[in-house]
Amino acid sequence: MEKRNTEKNTLPLTALKQGEAGTVASISGGHGKGGGFEKRLMDMGLTPGTTVTVVKSAPFHGPLEILVRGSRLALGRGMAERIFVEKEK
Amino acid sequence: MTENKLLIALAGNANVGKSVIFNHLTGLHQHIGNWPGKTVERAEGTLHFKGYTIDIVDLPGIYSLSTYSLEELVSRKYIAVERPDVVINVVDASVLERNLFFTLQLMELETPMVIALNQMDIAKSKGIQVDIKKLEQLLGVPVMPTVAVKGVGIAKLLEKAIETVEKGLVKKHAHVRYGEEVEEKIGALIEKMKNAQFVYPPRYVAIKLLEGDEEIEREIQRIDPQIVFTAKKLAAKIECIHGHCCSTVITSERYEAAGCIARAAQKLVSPMKPSKVERLHNFTTHKVTGYLMLVFSLLLIFYFIFTFGDYTSGFLSDLLYGLEPFFASAFGTGLVGNLIWGGVMEGLIAGITIVLPYIIPFYIILYFLENSGYLSRIAFLMDNVMHKIGLHGKAFIPMMLGFGCNVPACLGCRIMETQRERLLAAFVTTLVPCAATTVIILGLVGDFLGIHWALALYLFNLVIIFVLGRLAFRVVPGEPTALIMEMHDYRWPHTKTILKQTWFRVAEFIKIAFPLIIVGSLVLKLAEVSGVLETVAAVLSPVTVVWLGLPAITGITLIFGVLRKELSLVMLAALLGTTNFALVLTPVQMIVFTLVAMFYIPCIATIAALVRDFGWKKSLFITVFEIAFAILLGGVALRLLTLAM
Ligand SMILES: Nc1nc2c(ncn2[C@@H]2O[C@H](COP(=O)(O)OP(=O)(O)OP(=O)(O)O)[C@@H](O)[C@H]2O)c(=O)[nH]1
Repeated sequence: MEKRNTEKNTLPLTALKQGEAGTVASISGGHGKGGGFEKRLMDMGLTPGTTVTVVKSAPFHGPLEILVRGSRLALGRGMAERIFVEKEK
Repeated sequence: MTENKLLIALAGNANVGKSVIFNHLTGLHQHIGNWPGKTVERAEGTLHFKGYTIDIVDLPGIYSLSTYSLEELVSRKYIAVERPDVVINVVDASVLERNLFFTLQLMELETPMVIALNQMDIAKSKGIQVDIKKLEQLLGVPVMPTVAVKGVGIAKLLEKAIETVEKGLVKKHAHVRYGEEVEEKIGALIEKMKNAQFVYPPRYVAIKLLEGDEEIEREIQRIDPQIVFTAKKLAAKIECIHGHCCSTVITSERYEAAGCIARAAQKLVSPMKPSKVERLHNFTTHKVTGYLMLVFSLLLIFYFIFTFGDYTSGFLSDLLYGLEPFFASAFGTGLVGNLIWGGVMEGLIAGITIVLPYIIPFYIILYFLENSGYLSRIAFLMDNVMHKIGLHGKAFIPMMLGFGCNVPACLGCRIMETQRERLLAAFVTTLVPCAATTVIILGLVGDFLGIHWALALYLFNLVIIFVLGRLAFRVVPGEPTALIMEMHDYRWPHTKTILKQTWFRVAEFIKIAFPLIIVGSLVLKLAEVSGVLETVAAVLSPVTVVWLGLPAITGITLIFGVLRKELSLVMLAALLGTTNFALVLTPVQMIVFTLVAMFYIPCIATIAALVRDFGWKKSLFITVFEIAFAILLGGVALRLLTLAM
């Protein structure tokens, strides 16, 4: 599933502006054995098809604050960069 | 086991109110320890109810039952192996969907369970109404609404739990139905496992195998490798159909199920509008006001703790030293009296004057911040700073604690997810100047060379933390984990829970630190009266005198500093016979001495805390490394400063 993120209409979560929402398309695995942080993100509710709203991002490339499934999460930027979303209009 | 003994486990997401419920149920009959061989906390308590003796275990707060963290592994093992009579799943009614995702996994473990639908007050204020009957019906599990902080519904909850056991309502609850393809594969796997015996229920094993759960795979591999092989093949098929890996598909479908149930059982009565809580959140995480708030709060906290601590510490030590004449008259001033007072009592006093004035307020404030929700905002704000040393935002919390005392700070590193991050965080934490180190910095350099020198040393300390932190991050093998953290709404914490948590922490600290401080001070006293100390000073003189350029007796005082860092200064005054250090030390010597004292060793209690969580080898390594580092640094500083000044 690593390849899917190259599709044109998806962008990393970090590309969304504050207040914008998108649906999760895929999560790129990164290094290490699968299941690590990818599984963790899923467990926190960021499964494909879920709507994510970026509420704000901390300054100097800090983490993002997102809304997902009715709760508020803080997400490290490195991780957010690997989440690919389709922007909602 | 006698008939009317019961074992109840509390399980649920982080911050749902488990601890509050646990405290309501068990009062002070509780005990906090570690899971055998793990650095995961285990709180247990006992209560008597309706003729039952009930043991209650508070499982760690987790979001899933996979293998992401130690907590998750420990929890599911516990439920599957120890088989509690009933699990009370504490659910946050204001974030129902995420909580039910965990509930559904518990149900897959086929454990008897009851749901405590907690935080009903918060849900209500957010305009969320939950239809209890509907929820019960959809899940097939009894549900009891509760407001833990007010004690509402807790007694009924316990009754429901017991009822569940008595009626033997086991395995009656509905299963999550996954999509057809997935169900088909689960069915096929269960069929294949018909003859095997596992601790986990077959359906659960089947699901976990399809999810590619490493731990379950390993266990099943031992029993029948064929099953794992089949599971892999089936999982690949699902991946083919859905275009996502099988574990993603299953997790999505499970979340879908949780979402469906949540939506069916809850009703939003009023549209969500930014409330006071929301505004506070925005203010405290804002890129300007958030940081201002953070700096302001930290300064306030430190100011409070240090003034309060200083005052009470002085008061207590005056009070306790007032006992000296009584001891002298009871035990004489001979060897025995000397050992009892100078060894045991002084060790005890040293312990008391640090616990009461510094540690207790620190914990109270810490738990206030944690339970109110501010701590997670701090982690959010500090995440990218901590990333510079390879850790994520949560590590800022133990580091902050470290400024008070390294011991609770090291124990606090358990909030990190993996063992690697715990170790890294603990290492960095031992380098943080604790209250006792601050006493040296201020009392020597600050008083005699001026506050700017003291601040410079502080700053230098931060630089060293940064450099060594980065180094450790490079050297220790493993992957860094990034921040994923729920930031729940702000709420007013429950005072009793804070006080109890503080009490248990302090008790833990006393247990770890006191014996060591007392034994240590007794040993030192013995060494002193037997004249060994002079020899030690002589043996150490190549380091202290030649390399560091300090008076030979500093060798002795630095050894005393192992007990409690500021003792090295107190002893220095005693041995030099003056508190006017300017008479006996040159400015450069003061700086060198302070530098060495800052870094040379985590004190004995900190070492004990490290040993407890990381074992002897790693703790010894950290200790030896820091001693060597401090000596090296001191010598280099001496040479550079002599050139410069
Ligand atoms: N308003 C309100 N607050 C609650 C309720 N239950 C718990 N809280 C608060 O929620 C916070 C977290 O509660 P804890 O009991 O520490 O949560 P926990 O589930 O033990 O969390 P972990 O220790 O992280 O597993 C505390 O500040 C409680 O005071 C409730 O029913 N209503």
